[in-house]
Amino acid sequence: MKVSFKLNGSPVELDVPPNEILLDTLRFRLGVRGPKRGCERAECGTCTVLLDGKPVYSCNIFTVQVDGSEVNTIEGIAQKELGKELAESFSREGAVQCGFCTPGFITTSYALVKENPNASELEIKKYLEGNLCRCTGYKKIVEAVKKVISAYRK
Amino acid sequence: MSSTDLERLMNKWLSAQEFYVVGKKVERADTIEKALGIARYMEDYYMRDMLVIKQVTSKYPHARILSIDDSQAKKVKGFLMNITAKNIPGENQVGYSIPDQPLLADKKVRYVGEPVSLVVASDFDSALEAAQLVKVNYDPLPYVLDPLEAMKRNDVLVHEETGSNIAFRTKVRKGDVEKGFSESHVVVENTYRTSHQDHIYLETEASIAIPNLEGKLTILSPSQYPHLTQKIVSRVLGLPASSIRVVVPYLGGGFGGKDDQGPLTSAKAALVAYLTKRPTFIEYSREESIAVHPKREATVIRYKSGADAEGKLKAIEVEIVHDTGAYANRGPFILWRATMHASGPYVVPNAKVDGYCIYTNKVYQGSFRGFGNPSVQFAAESQMDVLAEKLGIDPLEIRLKNILTPGATTITGQVLDSSVGVKEALEAAALKAGWKEKRKAYSSMEGRFRKGIGIGVAWHGISTSRGVPDWSAGTVKIELDGSVSVLVGIVEMGQGSPTSSHRQIVAEILGVPLDLVHVYFGTSDAPDTGATHASRGTGVGAIGVYVASIELRERLNSLAAKLLNTDPEDITIVDGVVRSKKDPSKSMPWKDLVKSAYSKGVSTTSSGYFFLPKGRFDDEMGQGFAYISYSYMVTITEVEVDTELGTVKVLKTYPAIAAGKIINPVQVEGQIEGAFVQGMGLALTEEFKFSEKGEIINKDLTDYVIPTSMDAPEIAEPIFIEDRFKYGPFGAKGVGEMALIPAPSSIANAVSHAIGKRVTHLPITPERVLKLLEGR
Amino acid sequence: MYYKLPEFEYKRAENLHQALDVLKEGDWKILAGGTDLILDMKIGRQSPKKILDITRLGELRYVRAYNGKMFIGGGSRLQELLENALVKEKLPLLSSAIYEMASWQIRNVATIAGNICNASPAADSAPPLLIYDAKVKLSSSSGSRTLPISEFFLGPRKTAISSYELLEEIEVPTLDGYFQWYYKLGRRHAFTLSVVSAAVALKIENGIFSDVRIALGSVAPKPVRAYTVENELKGKEANVSEIERAVEKVAEDISPISDVRASAEYRFKATKALLKEALFKGMKYFGGGSG
Repeated sequence: MKVSFKLNGSPVELDVPPNEILLDTLRFRLGVRGPKRGCERAECGTCTVLLDGKPVYSCNIFTVQVDGSEVNTIEGIAQKELGKELAESFSREGAVQCGFCTPGFITTSYALVKENPNASELEIKKYLEGNLCRCTGYKKIVEAVKKVISAYRK
Repeated sequence: MSSTDLERLMNKWLSAQEFYVVGKKVERADTIEKALGIARYMEDYYMRDMLVIKQVTSKYPHARILSIDDSQAKKVKGFLMNITAKNIPGENQVGYSIPDQPLLADKKVRYVGEPVSLVVASDFDSALEAAQLVKVNYDPLPYVLDPLEAMKRNDVLVHEETGSNIAFRTKVRKGDVEKGFSESHVVVENTYRTSHQDHIYLETEASIAIPNLEGKLTILSPSQYPHLTQKIVSRVLGLPASSIRVVVPYLGGGFGGKDDQGPLTSAKAALVAYLTKRPTFIEYSREESIAVHPKREATVIRYKSGADAEGKLKAIEVEIVHDTGAYANRGPFILWRATMHASGPYVVPNAKVDGYCIYTNKVYQGSFRGFGNPSVQFAAESQMDVLAEKLGIDPLEIRLKNILTPGATTITGQVLDSSVGVKEALEAAALKAGWKEKRKAYSSMEGRFRKGIGIGVAWHGISTSRGVPDWSAGTVKIELDGSVSVLVGIVEMGQGSPTSSHRQIVAEILGVPLDLVHVYFGTSDAPDTGATHASRGTGVGAIGVYVASIELRERLNSLAAKLLNTDPEDITIVDGVVRSKKDPSKSMPWKDLVKSAYSKGVSTTSSGYFFLPKGRFDDEMGQGFAYISYSYMVTITEVEVDTELGTVKVLKTYPAIAAGKIINPVQVEGQIEGAFVQGMGLALTEEFKFSEKGEIINKDLTDYVIPTSMDAPEIAEPIFIEDRFKYGPFGAKGVGEMALIPAPSSIANAVSHAIGKRVTHLPITPERVLKLLEGR
Repeated sequence: MYYKLPEFEYKRAENLHQALDVLKEGDWKILAGGTDLILDMKIGRQSPKKILDITRLGELRYVRAYNGKMFIGGGSRLQELLENALVKEKLPLLSSAIYEMASWQIRNVATIAGNICNASPAADSAPPLLIYDAKVKLSSSSGSRTLPISEFFLGPRKTAISSYELLEEIEVPTLDGYFQWYYKLGRRHAFTLSVVSAAVALKIENGIFSDVRIALGSVAPKPVRAYTVENELKGKEANVSEIERAVEKVAEDISPISDVRASAEYRFKATKALLKEALFKGMKYFGGGSG
């Protein structure tokens, strides 16, 4: 099936079988390796991408569903000012350990800062509920987002 | 350099008081590329020309394999072959401590999920489809799932050749426990149970093997010890170790699990690559990962302790049963560690401890952060609270009365001459937590929601035990441009030792700017540095690069002294500036010093090696030298219990650690926070449910419940007690596992405090809380 | 890659008319967001041969208030409903339930109709809709019919919808002057399936329960109303002993099972504890008792 969408700002046109999931299209067909495969069951958040600005699990959506949409992955987000600030804050605050969940966390965080620049600590935690981290215990992740959000508000 | 010279120089650096990068909140070298999504993990290296491997696993807990039929699988387009035990060219033997475990089941299977064959195909879908079509014919055998039952039965044997389901026994015999109990004012006895725990590293096991023309293999391996993978692969393939090159890329978490399963994952990839002469790729699905790889042991611990009227411990008698599942794997070592730590960090004059590692037809046990210690510390720490209650003493006081201090003797008879900061850690944490006030306030709470506060104290021997040879090695090379290349076998799996502490240690000693130090880690090309486990990544793993840097620094000091016309002792090198202490006007840039070394014939490469001196251990009595050094950890935790629903919320924890010199405080905090939350999972929600056939039912992240951001408690800034360890780099000990060890006991003690009933079974599910409240 | 997804014929509808036209053929499976469907296909619980993608039907994404009722387009994403001020104000139970559902990533894709049509006994949107006596509008190319939500659920993953129908709209009467309370008991504090979920709405007039509505999830083959308890309370004086007596009767309304998430015994206990809490709080809300 013909599918066209905008990936990190650039148009993409593909012919994919209807049963192909977005994560596989990104990783195997397009070589976009930022979104990770942690469970492939919409249970962990490592594959998070933005679909028309909203975070979604790319492991749980058919590629044909994103036809005509805008998809942003960590690769695109990292090019943007806010994305860079988040990445730097995560790195500086010790919010990254193994790093496998990190692209997903930054992707979700990017959307949350855009969505709610007044998010409280509890709201930040709530937005991040769908991203599991097994290394950090979440404290430093929440702190890293808080630092960026308070700067972003100003 | 002679060993006395080396010891003198190590002592010099050990007593260092001023640092320019060590002890500072320095950003890690790897985290920015991880945050930007640039860092590559195993699957990111997959290429479409690689053959894909899918495991066919056992559906039976115990059965003879009659035949394996791949005729239907052959019809799948893209199917290449089905590889079984028969195809293994070397030894089909991967047992870690006992040769009891095949890579692929041969003759019989011993747990649901055991790998039986490897389907090889050109693409993922073909591999998945073909694996479904491989028909294994089994003759089911009687099986045993409960370890207490398995211990007693000889009619159903997981391994016939052993004649018993007891895989391994351990013991400690110190003093006379009968006498100790008779001198006790109170004696309490309880049975404690803990459940299996899965690591849930977010990256499942995956590996790539690439053969070359000469039949040698390069393996990308998800392992915590590249040289162990090299050894296991060479055994399975019957090739010399030098034919196997192992590279460990960034790992998406390890926690011990990849120490066990990493080499086996790679052995599967390597086996297929060797047989097909093509690059191969294997990745476990999440369900497969949970079904196949070893878990934290489930335990039953019977614990009897006695204390005099003042609360001084007189005796303990402990029986530890570990459900090791189908294979011993590291079970004997895990049990050994549990046994030697059974007292908790306390002085106990009379001790009798017996450990049993029991085979059952379930998924086997293996390494997991804490390694047998969280469960036994849970039992020991619960007993301390029970004793305190019986004696009417505050739980903090009874601990302080018995706690290990420098010069104390452990239950194995080891004298702890130095680096024992647990008492200070406990006192400081109690003060910070407001222990006395809160303990009192919460004791009088009534109504539906009740708060509790509990203490968990733990000790943990660093690195490998007893006389097991233990060493550290690493190479440091100063490049002509002044940058420094460091080569170590320690891997990066999230803990960050090569990318933070190793860099800081090398930079501090050489005096070179931190950003000029580059650590190349996790490959069998590096000197064998030992495994990245047992909290040894820095405290032991970095001794090699520490020693190499010290040697280089001596050479550079001599050279600089000549160039600046002074004595070597007068030279300081800090952040790239070489200077005379007496006459600071005499100085030169680091890069010039390096250029001079190259032009004046001073070697700029050094290979550091250190063999840890160890003592004797008598296995008959369980007495002697157990560990080179111990780290200590305290967590004081507050919870709130809903007595109607039985739910527990962890509100806050106050950690304190005595782990010697803290090289990077941010990273140590990160280890403590992460380990605490992982321990909270063990304490509250993480548990496997087994079917009647011993199959794990909850093989996904919906029904195997780990904490989310919404579950994470508040964690106070940790207190550091820097009780330096004489061989560690600048006195560093280990940190990685530490907070996980007392976390469950502090939570269990807090819950017990809140509800006024003793928790003896982890995880503390709402159902168990309600049962306790109902007095059942 | 971990799973082999079955092959299927795929069609995407651009508008409702087109969708209903395709559904006429009778053997198309609807993909509304796909969050449940795709996982089901991966694990082999469903393997449709034909999939009709209705994610583009913007006309099914709306929330309207009219005449004391709310009308929610079936294609509304859960997150849209969570962020909708009208839903929050007029349907607080639904809003609270959605807050606890899945995760942000899933709520951005999953639809309310999808949650209902998937008909899991643990469907979190169901108890609130049962409380509000919501009706579902099922449309086909030959017209529409409206069904009370209580008649829509038939059993675990079984509903009254036919294969040529689409859940177009949910009609939700609002409740004025009611005390409304929702609780989801899971195994962790977010992103989890419910062990028990409970929605309660009640009204007390002159110290008498003039109306009591109780709906429960994960304690029966389908989300249910606890009519026995409701009837035990209606018309009775609002006091602790009446509540305690009535709550004991919940055994006649539910039939929990033991599964990987909890035992039946625990679900009974938790249900009773939750109902007592809700009813006591309701009593307090209306100024009665000391609960």
